[in-house]
Amino acid sequence: MGFDFSSWQSPITFASPLGAVSWAVLAGVPVGIIALYFLKLRRRPVQVPSTLLWRRSLEDLHVNSLFQRLRRNLLLFLQLLFVGALLVALAGPRVMGTAGRGQRYVLAIDNSASMAATDVAPSRLEEAKREALRIIDQMGGDDLAMVLTFNDHARVEASYTANKQLLRSRITSIQASESTTSLREALTLAAGLANPSTDLAARQGPAGTRSSAESARVFVFTDGGFANIENFSLGNLQPEFVIVGDTLDAASDTPNESEKKPADEKAVKKATATDNVAILALQTARNEEKPDQFQVFGRVRNYRAEAVETEARLFKHDPDKPGDSGTLIDAIALKVSAQSEQAFKFDLPDPGRELLEVRIEVEDALKLDNRGFTTVGTPRKAQVLFVSQGDRYLAGTLKTPSAAQLADVVEISPEEAKTKEYVRQMDSGRYDLVIFDRYRPERPPAANTLYFGVLPPGPQYESTKAVKGPIVLDWDIGHPLMQYVRDLRLVRIMHATVVEPPPGSTNLIESNEGPIGFVAPRMGFADAVIAFGLFHQPEDEGKEIELNTDWPLRFYSFPLFIFNALRVLGNARETGGEEVHLPGEPVVIRADSLQDTVKVIGPGLTRPEELKRSPQGTFIFNNANKAGLYQVRWGEDEGSDFAVNLFDARESDLSMRGKGIKIGNIQVTDVRRKAPARLDWWWPIAWMALALVLFEWYIYNKRVYV
Amino acid sequence: MPSAQATSLLDPEFLAKLEQLELVSRKIFLGRLKGERKSKRRGSSVEFADHRNYVVGDDLRRIDWNVYGRLDKLFLKLFLEEEDLHVYTLLDTSQSMEFGDPTKLQYGKQVAAALAFIGLVNHDRVVLEGFSSGLEPGLTNVRARSQMWRVIQHLEGLHSSGAGNLTAACKAFAIKHTGKGIAVVISDFLDKRGYQDALRYLLARNLDLYVIHVLSKEEVEPDLVGDLRLVDAEDDDVAEISISAPLLQRYKANLNAFVGGLKEWCTQRGIAYIFTTTHNPFDKLILNYLRERGLVK
Repeated sequence: MGFDFSSWQSPITFASPLGAVSWAVLAGVPVGIIALYFLKLRRRPVQVPSTLLWRRSLEDLHVNSLFQRLRRNLLLFLQLLFVGALLVALAGPRVMGTAGRGQRYVLAIDNSASMAATDVAPSRLEEAKREALRIIDQMGGDDLAMVLTFNDHARVEASYTANKQLLRSRITSIQASESTTSLREALTLAAGLANPSTDLAARQGPAGTRSSAESARVFVFTDGGFANIENFSLGNLQPEFVIVGDTLDAASDTPNESEKKPADEKAVKKATATDNVAILALQTARNEEKPDQFQVFGRVRNYRAEAVETEARLFKHDPDKPGDSGTLIDAIALKVSAQSEQAFKFDLPDPGRELLEVRIEVEDALKLDNRGFTTVGTPRKAQVLFVSQGDRYLAGTLKTPSAAQLADVVEISPEEAKTKEYVRQMDSGRYDLVIFDRYRPERPPAANTLYFGVLPPGPQYESTKAVKGPIVLDWDIGHPLMQYVRDLRLVRIMHATVVEPPPGSTNLIESNEGPIGFVAPRMGFADAVIAFGLFHQPEDEGKEIELNTDWPLRFYSFPLFIFNALRVLGNARETGGEEVHLPGEPVVIRADSLQDTVKVIGPGLTRPEELKRSPQGTFIFNNANKAGLYQVRWGEDEGSDFAVNLFDARESDLSMRGKGIKIGNIQVTDVRRKAPARLDWWWPIAWMALALVLFEWYIYNKRVYV
Repeated sequence: MPSAQATSLLDPEFLAKLEQLELVSRKIFLGRLKGERKSKRRGSSVEFADHRNYVVGDDLRRIDWNVYGRLDKLFLKLFLEEEDLHVYTLLDTSQSMEFGDPTKLQYGKQVAAALAFIGLVNHDRVVLEGFSSGLEPGLTNVRARSQMWRVIQHLEGLHSSGAGNLTAACKAFAIKHTGKGIAVVISDFLDKRGYQDALRYLLARNLDLYVIHVLSKEEVEPDLVGDLRLVDAEDDDVAEISISAPLLQRYKANLNAFVGGLKEWCTQRGIAYIFTTTHNPFDKLILNYLRERGLVK
């Protein structure tokens, strides 16, 4: 491998407070000393009785002339060394640094959940902060630094400043979050700061000297617990990663296991044993077989190299006493073998509205993921308005017991839908979902919608094409609306209206003629469109309506689709324990209330937070930063609950990645365990100068040679 | 400095020490005949020494006629010469003697005074000569103890001056003085022309020679530091040195060689050599060292 000298930067830089003129003067000092020495201006005349013996001594010494001259000039050399050391000290040498003055630093500190791990005392975050503070300490007087924190989003803690005190206090006050890690945002932010835009440089014109010369050095203090960042271009940003933590790239740490299990060698090598046992999933659901019972499912992963025997304990929290430690109601012994997962399950009779917590009792490096939260109770019914032309299949499906469990359906005719009362209701956000069956409203309601055999109002749906006998080719099984829908290929359709879905839409059903089912976003709502009606009104006058498709007749997928639509578009909820909220993410709360405000109580909130209804009729809670149980209250005694959990295998996996970090297509190579030391060296050099003076004094007085 | 020297030569302590020397030397001479100090040379006196064959040109008056009558051969009768002993003291007053504490000159004066005192007490003829670049007017033919004040007065009148020229001074001394006796040279011998020729002049005069080599403490152990320009006090010669341990080592080696060389040269020629520094008390020097070497008994 060749060495690229062009990219080589001297590890030592100089930052002198002195200007060129001062340096020119200072450079004259050693020259002056030499001149004075050789002009022998410094010799002190001393009268002696006779120079007889001295002359003889000198003649003796002159035998080895050059060497003697050197020895004679030892004091001169010491003086030159002293002055040299002083000059070097004045030059202000430093290790690590690129520009002579005004170096800029971006310190990105990972404060994601895994940084709370205590495998390095006191914690990874503290370690990262300490490393960051070291860089701050080493900053020169004219250096600027900026501090970012990043977890699932990045945040500027301190913008560019030379105020070390401020930077220090900002860094010290960084708290561990309970969020996941996403480096992308931090890198985007840093890249924007480190790569000054060309526009800016151009605007500054020829006089703009502050352009590319001031590119910043970006230090990322992290434990590497994040996914590779795809499709990201670093540009000329070269982040330097400071990896904090106890074990690094410890693939060779488990050679014995790889010998034992050659088949699993790859897997073993990939996973590095760390001291952590984590709950990775927790969910509550009604027992399908016994509807009066609830089940709490969970999954525990052991990251250790040895098996763990522990206990999963189920606690009940009193809603009236937020923040209490809970009452133990059940416990299960768990034995999780090394580096593997184990599921657990609690059965409990329908408890009504309940706040539940599962704890695993184990001492490990990361406490955060030893607890999981979930909620039970208060199933929320979707409020559905069904504007129907008397479609009996659709109406029948919406009246099945399972649909009735999910939704309150109000069926009205198109004529009724035109009345003031319903128009007002639709505009007020009273309903979660409005189903239009072959009826096109004049304007969309303030709710999610599902259109059958008709297109939503709006200019983007004007250019339509009527097709006959489209053949279903494909459908999006990943979309929640199409969950469990499997047999569409056999469905026959006679007439459909095909339109180019508006931008941002998701195609649900593709036919040979184009999309015949799609979901389009509209102002925070979703418009689901099935482009064929269940019935078809022939063009000819007087003809009876006829069945347009055999979908509702013969296929299970139709009620499943309707069920999905009620759940997804109607925001219905069975237990509340199904939703997954990650710390730091906004939580959308739907309250069955006509009030404009709700109150949220939860961990990390010193007092109930009041939320205002958004234009979409929901309440958005942005402060779910901590894992735990949150209660939403409105009215007298009404409310709902939600749980926020860090169920993130990547955060719980405390093994660190060093060289494995990949950003875009570039393997990150600049990885180190310690922040680079950028010492100001002038102190030791100044001390050396002092030592030289003392040494010279000693030699002068003791007349010794060393 | 001269005034200080004057007072110090007359100071009561010094005079007391001289008195002490008198007592000591009296004790030594008590019970001995005058003329005890026998000269090595034969001469005319009452004390018979030896006979030798007559050679042409000998003084006929010294022929032992009794022996001639008996043996019919001419013998000369030799007698131990009854000396009218001269004590010559040559004191170096060159500029280099001005160094040391007390100065070498002061020390030399004290020694000269002490020797003169002993000489006077023993009824010898005392001659004091100072020299620097040449022989200076001296004090000649002082006898009797009562003349001691003249000695002191003369010594106090001596001041260091000029570049010393040992050879010239000794040559002039040899020409000037023909008397027999002992000669004591008090000097530092730091003469770039050397001491050999000078001492040879004195040896040629067949004198009992004593050399008292006086050096100051700072010459034996120089107390110098740094880069220096050494200026010779006598000829303004300049030597630029940077004091260092090897240089000092070298200097001491040279000094030892110089002192040792002088001593060896003297010993080989029957010259009694005494080395002293100015820190060695002069009375101790007189009583111990000089007695050991036979200058005083």
